[in-house]
Parts: sequence; structure tokens; C-alpha cells
Amino acid sequence: MFNGLSLDQAPPISVVLRFFITLPLFGLSVSALMIFFPSEILTANHPISLASIHLLFLGMISMGMIGALFQMQSVLGGAPIPSPLGNSIIIHTLLTAGIFALASAFMFQVPTLFIIAAVLLGSAIVYFAQILLPLLLRKMAHNTLQGMRFAIVSLLITAILGIVMATSYANETFGDSHALLRASHYSIGLIGWVAALIIYVAFQVVEMFYVTTPYSDWCKHNVKRLLAASLSLKILWLFAALPFVWVFDGVIIMVLIGFSTTTMKRLRSRKRRVSDVSIWFWILGIGLLMIALLSHLGSMLNIYPLLEPMSLIAFALFSLSIILGMMGKIIPFLVWFHLNSAGYMETPIMSNVIPQKRLKMTFWLFCSMALTALIAPFYPLILIVSGLCGVMLFSVVLFNLTNAAKLYRSILVNGTKFTFEP
Amino acid sequence: MILEFMRDDHRACDHFYTAAENALADKKTDEAKELFNQFYNATNHHFDMEEKQLFITFERRTGMMGGPTQMMRYEHQQLRALLESMLRSLNEGKVDDFFGQGESMMIMLQQHNMKEEQMLYPMIDQTLGMDGELMVQTLREMPQ
Repeated sequence: MFNGLSLDQAPPISVVLRFFITLPLFGLSVSALMIFFPSEILTANHPISLASIHLLFLGMISMGMIGALFQMQSVLGGAPIPSPLGNSIIIHTLLTAGIFALASAFMFQVPTLFIIAAVLLGSAIVYFAQILLPLLLRKMAHNTLQGMRFAIVSLLITAILGIVMATSYANETFGDSHALLRASHYSIGLIGWVAALIIYVAFQVVEMFYVTTPYSDWCKHNVKRLLAASLSLKILWLFAALPFVWVFDGVIIMVLIGFSTTTMKRLRSRKRRVSDVSIWFWILGIGLLMIALLSHLGSMLNIYPLLEPMSLIAFALFSLSIILGMMGKIIPFLVWFHLNSAGYMETPIMSNVIPQKRLKMTFWLFCSMALTALIAPFYPLILIVSGLCGVMLFSVVLFNLTNAAKLYRSILVNGTKFTFEP
Repeated sequence: MILEFMRDDHRACDHFYTAAENALADKKTDEAKELFNQFYNATNHHFDMEEKQLFITFERRTGMMGGPTQMMRYEHQQLRALLESMLRSLNEGKVDDFFGQGESMMIMLQQHNMKEEQMLYPMIDQTLGMDGELMVQTLREMPQ
């Protein structure tokens, strides 16, 4: 009756670490672009701006989210991703090479690179989706699984639209529908993939890790439906050139404002009062989401044109804040978990894998980067300062992760295991 | 039926731990020890309810002996060991160690709870059907 269900433990630590360690490397690349090309990044549709956006959303945000999904699937999804080591190597390699190809294609305007990027990224995402989706299509799928399913389908559609657009860039011929494709590509990517996954992970993680009142069943049940319906109708309206498209953006904004306020309320009234850097990242992330939503609303109402780039920057920072906060918790836990499960006497406690002091340092560097990046649409040159903060931030993140990996390996090689004499 | 009863028990255990952690953060050591003992007893009782009643009945009905229930038992062992270490740290006044172990324990416990609430308990509810009510009664009456 329950064939196919497995409650296996986590995949090997290298599966998740591979994705997480790549994230700060792309972070350093984006920071370098911010330092050297501040005005170009802030110019809509400039090749360097497009390269940065893809380095950010694919190289950092999607890289972190796909890595986390390898870990979360066995816990939230019930069945672990099969052959996690081999599959993670395939997906990670295709994804990393594809992101480099795409960023280079935008920066150097090389048509062939767009095709290479489309093939590599398309393969990575289709391969990932075909592994994960069947695991999420179980009979007894709960709301989180349904939310994850919606996010993966959105990622797949975003990739397909991206491939179509990449061929236009490669041929340097942009049809009448290019602007519509672009609007659909970023709407589905930002809302259907990034926001939906974070929301459904939050529904589980916030309540359980920080001991808060539960989210209402209505929210868990209907957020994905509202987002799916609004996105589908928005795209239909766009392609059919129908009026009042803004109504669907309005619904999405309302859903996300509802999520932000309920999450903030839960985090602030959490029962677990002990200070934890991951909580700071969550609170900051939700605050940034509110800024993104309000500035997008402002730009929709034509209050001020520069609110639109500010909205996109705040949204990216929101996603990054949640990912960095969770990474600071996941990696020390995995190091402890794998060593402890293997029975090593030297297994360090979590705070000895990445010390709180260094986690706090990442938080304050992130705050500095975020604040300066948010002001940048109004004073473009301040993006240089933001980039410098980014270089420091991602260097510390990289140091934290490589140190954790080194510690794990050193105990694995030199550690002593508990033995039981019969 | 089972899902609701056991989920509420998970939350009750969380409440004890949170209260203990908060008390220790406020340097109320004696209160923290008392609250942690309540958490320790409540969590061990929860594991006992599962291992001595719930899992055995489920295994008998489905014939699944080495499946998810076995994995849950293995995780109980790991969590029990962690609880022992935390109790030792608390009694020896090693507050930093207690918080460090507590962080691992909390993540592991919550992952464990998620697996049970999202997969195992619905499976048990489906298996027990109308007998679920009787099982809840039996679990309620189990001495701590």
C-alpha cells in the first residue's frame, strides 16, 4: 500500500555543499560588476545589467534553492532524490557552466554563447525537474509538497521562456512578442519560482524552528492557488492585449503583503526568544520583501520611476537574506549531523562549525550591502560601496563554508569513532 | 485522529523546551533545569507512546517491519542521546554547550516531527481507520 515511501536520512553533505559553496563565488562576480559598472547595472536592459540579474537570480538565489531542495526533499518530500551524489554533480555542473555562458553571452554579446547557455541551463533545469517532480506527485501530498511542485513547474516554464528568448538574442532578431515573453519570464521566475518556494518553506520552517503560532490552513491551501491563477491570467491578458493587467499584479502584491505581515507577526511573537542570527536574516528578509512590494506598488501608480529598480533590488535582497540565514543554520547542522551519525567522538557542536561571531559579521555586512544597494537607483555611484560590502560579505561566507568543509573532512580522516565492545 | 493527537503532543514538548531555553537565557538556572526535565520526560514519553504502542500496531496491520517506523526508532535513539548530553551539560553548568547541543537537537527534532506529521501519522490514520479513536485513548492512558 505504501510502496515508494522512504524516510531515509539526508543525502551526503557534499551534495548540498557543492551548491552552497558556488553561491558566494557568483556573489563575488556580481559584486565585482557592481564595483566596475555601477551605472550600467542600473540601466534597464543594458547587457551588464542583464548579466548581473542572471548571475544573481540563477548563480546565487537558484543555486542556493536547488541545493537546499536536495536536503529538504528527504524531509519535506518524504522520498529522497535518487542517486543524490551523481545527480547533484550533473545538475551543478550544467547549471554553473550555463550561468557563466549566459553572463558572458550578455556581457560580450556573443551569439553562440546564448545557444550554449540555453542548452546547458535548459538541460540542468529540465533534468532537475524530471527527477524532483515525480517525487512530489504522491497521492498524500500535503500543502508544502504542492507548493514545491508549483515552484518547480514555474522554474521549468521560466527556463523554457528563457530558452526561447536566448534564441532571439543569438539571432539578434526580436519579434513583436519579445517584450511579452520577457514579462512572462520574469513574472513566473520571481513569483512562481522564488517567492512561492520561500513562502512554502516558511510555512514549515518558521513555525517549527522558531516555535511560533501556526500559519492558517487557509493560507497554506490557497496561496499557491492565488499565485498560480494570477500569474496564468496575467500572462493570458498580456498576450491577448487585454486591459487591466495590473489587477493581477495587485492580487499578487496583496498575497505577498499578507504573507509578509503574518510572517513578521509570527517571528516577533515567537516563543523561542534566544537570539539567533537566522532570525535576524528572516526579519530583515521579510522587511525587504515589504519594501519590494510597496515600491512596486508605487511604480505601478507612477509615483516615481526609480521605484521599479528599487523594487527588483529589494526583492533580490529579500531572497538572498532568507537563503543566507538558512545556510548559516543548515551547514553547521549537516556537519554535526553527518559526523554524529557516523559516531565520531570529535563531532563539534554547531556553534563551533561556524562561530556566532562570524555569522553576525555576515549579517552586518549583508545589511550594509542591502542598504547601499537600495539607495543606488537614486545615487548610482553608491553601488560601488555596495559592491565592496558584497566582496567582504561573500568572502566571509566562502570562508565559513570552506572552513566547515575542511573541519568535516579533517574529522572524517583523523577522527576517532565510538566502538562498542561485544 | 492520530495526527492531531500526536501533533499536539509535539507542540507541547516544544513549549517545554522553549521555556527551558528562555529561562536559561535569562540566567534562571533552577527554573531552566526544572523545565528541561519536563521537556526531557515529555519527549521520552512521546517516543515511548510511539515505540510501545503506535508503531507496533501499525507494523502488525501493514506488515511493514523495516520501513519508516524503523527509521523513526533510529532517530529516537539519536535524539535520546542528544537529550542525555544536554541534561549532562545543564547539570554541569556548561551553558554554551547546552545551547550548542540544543540547536542541533531542535533542528533534528523538528525534521523528525515533520516526517512524522506529514507522512507517518497520515499513513497510520489511514491504516487504523475507525480504531484510531481507541488508539488515542490507549496513548492517553499510558503512564509517564
